[in-house]
Amino acid sequence: MIRNFKIKLPILLMLALGLVLSAAALPLHSALAAQDAPSAQGAPSAQAAQTGLKGRYIAPISPSAYLVQAALADPLGESRYLNELQAEIRNNLGFLPFLRLIDARAVPGGLKLPTASEPGLDFERFRLTRTDNLITSIWINSNQVELRAFDVSNGKFMFGSRFDVESTKQVEEVADEFCAMFMQALTGRGDFFRSSLAFSKSDGPRKRDIWTVRPTGGNLTRRTNIPGDAISPTWSHDGRFIVFSHIDDRSHALGVWDADTNRVQRLRFPGNTVIGPCFMPDNKVAVSLTDGRNPSIFLLDHSFKKEKTLINSWAIDVSPSVDASGNYLAYTSSRQGNPHIFLTNLKTGQTARISSGGKYNTDPSISPDGTLVVFARQMGGGHRIFLHDLRNGAEKQLTFGPGSDEQPEFAPDSYFIAFTSTRSGSKKIYLTTRHGGEPRQIDTGSGEASFPTWGIPRK
Amino acid sequence: MNKFARFSMLLLIITALFAGYGCTKGGVNGPDGSATDGQAGGPATIEEAANYIKTAPVYFAYDRFDLDATAKADLKAKADLMKRFSNIKVQVEGHCDERGTEEYNLALGERRARAAYDYLLMLGVNPAQLSTHSYGKMYPAVQGNSEEAWSKNRRDEFRVTY
Repeated sequence: MIRNFKIKLPILLMLALGLVLSAAALPLHSALAAQDAPSAQGAPSAQAAQTGLKGRYIAPISPSAYLVQAALADPLGESRYLNELQAEIRNNLGFLPFLRLIDARAVPGGLKLPTASEPGLDFERFRLTRTDNLITSIWINSNQVELRAFDVSNGKFMFGSRFDVESTKQVEEVADEFCAMFMQALTGRGDFFRSSLAFSKSDGPRKRDIWTVRPTGGNLTRRTNIPGDAISPTWSHDGRFIVFSHIDDRSHALGVWDADTNRVQRLRFPGNTVIGPCFMPDNKVAVSLTDGRNPSIFLLDHSFKKEKTLINSWAIDVSPSVDASGNYLAYTSSRQGNPHIFLTNLKTGQTARISSGGKYNTDPSISPDGTLVVFARQMGGGHRIFLHDLRNGAEKQLTFGPGSDEQPEFAPDSYFIAFTSTRSGSKKIYLTTRHGGEPRQIDTGSGEASFPTWGIPRK
Repeated sequence: MNKFARFSMLLLIITALFAGYGCTKGGVNGPDGSATDGQAGGPATIEEAANYIKTAPVYFAYDRFDLDATAKADLKAKADLMKRFSNIKVQVEGHCDERGTEEYNLALGERRARAAYDYLLMLGVNPAQLSTHSYGKMYPAVQGNSEEAWSKNRRDEFRVTY
């Protein structure tokens, strides 16, 4: 489908603009040491935003501040998929809070260009409107399109690809892949458009199954169809398995969906409790089981058999979330009375409490880069999503309802966050970012949707 | 009053005393408040015992899983019946109200089920008759978002088979 024909110059656009921030994260042991200090409630968002992640990343000063303005030129050539692809790319780029597509009326001469590549491209009309990037498309024939991106400031070609498009499904795939390449060129990470969300979807009383959907709303697919409640999915890092809690009238079980066979198996454990599994980077699984009196967090081996205890206290330990290094585990524990968020260094065993405010903090998700933890805090009108910066202890409220906002999950890029909210009256899945901003609902069809989790599916 | 009349009155008083002793010592209150007793006046059949056990939930305070005096009395009655009818098997099912989050509530429901399970074991119930299951907040007994509704949803239910 994709033929990369050339990449002349991998321009680090944000470096050129002075907007890419490369702040190496503080060592986590420093963060652990600092966590017992009172966190700054309502921490300064601008400061938090300016502290970037490892490597290059766009960090908007505020959710409403667009840092990149792009122009999507009118497509050239002829194809039945021409308008469809243009709309799909426009829709995709609308998911990037830091990017704005310029209106044709604001550009002298508009967005209809005589050519899609150099020479002959008129960059001046875009410089006048402070446009940063230009995207062009030309259909070579009815089933082949070339998509290009340019840096307007210096008129340089950034990247381009030729794609085969022979169905509406391929239109979505081409739009996702091109936008992934574009986001990668801008930020260093294109995972968002290559990823998929697994989630739990209601299908009648006492029936929830695991589905997947692209974060932009396409390719909605049912993965399980078994009686009972399938909840808390987690996607293996190799994209092969989705593991989940399954609850029916008799027992809890660990549900395992295998992409290779498209089949589901249920594994029961002594104690009859299986809550909130989480894949580790090495494809082992952390999950809360009951071994004796208390739900504790155990490690399962590659055969999903109990290998060892990870977290154990006199109280409830549940909802594990691990960073990409596999060293840091965030989880909910009631060991100090009320449920709070804790972080344990799995190498040293050192443990610190993360949440300081509120009396009921649950559903933690640690960012893959290990710098941030999001969680749900019970407030007066329901739960709200909060973000804790492990580097400086700052805390920030990301969502404000209405309804209840729960189950936040960091995307692989440590930037986007999916969560469940009842703000529309029933449970649906929304997207926001680590900077907050207006959440955007993901189209998951009819039925209540909850427990979003990110993965990169196998091709 | 002749001798026969006096003897009859005495017999009646003694019978009443023994009946009263039975109610305070070994008797329990049924789900509708009526007196039941494992030895006399209580469920006479396994069907009646099963019906009693499953009809009376045990309730909990918010985010708590400790058993109060009422809960312990109810569990005592259930334990007596389970010991009397050893074919009865009970799955203790822990539930929570709607305010907490789903995964934590599954764990809390497990703690609630386990609290009743452990107490029944302590009272001498055969562990082979018992199992636990948590539904968290999936299945409220009462719809509503008031404390009255929530208090009825923070519960253990008892699924009985025999």
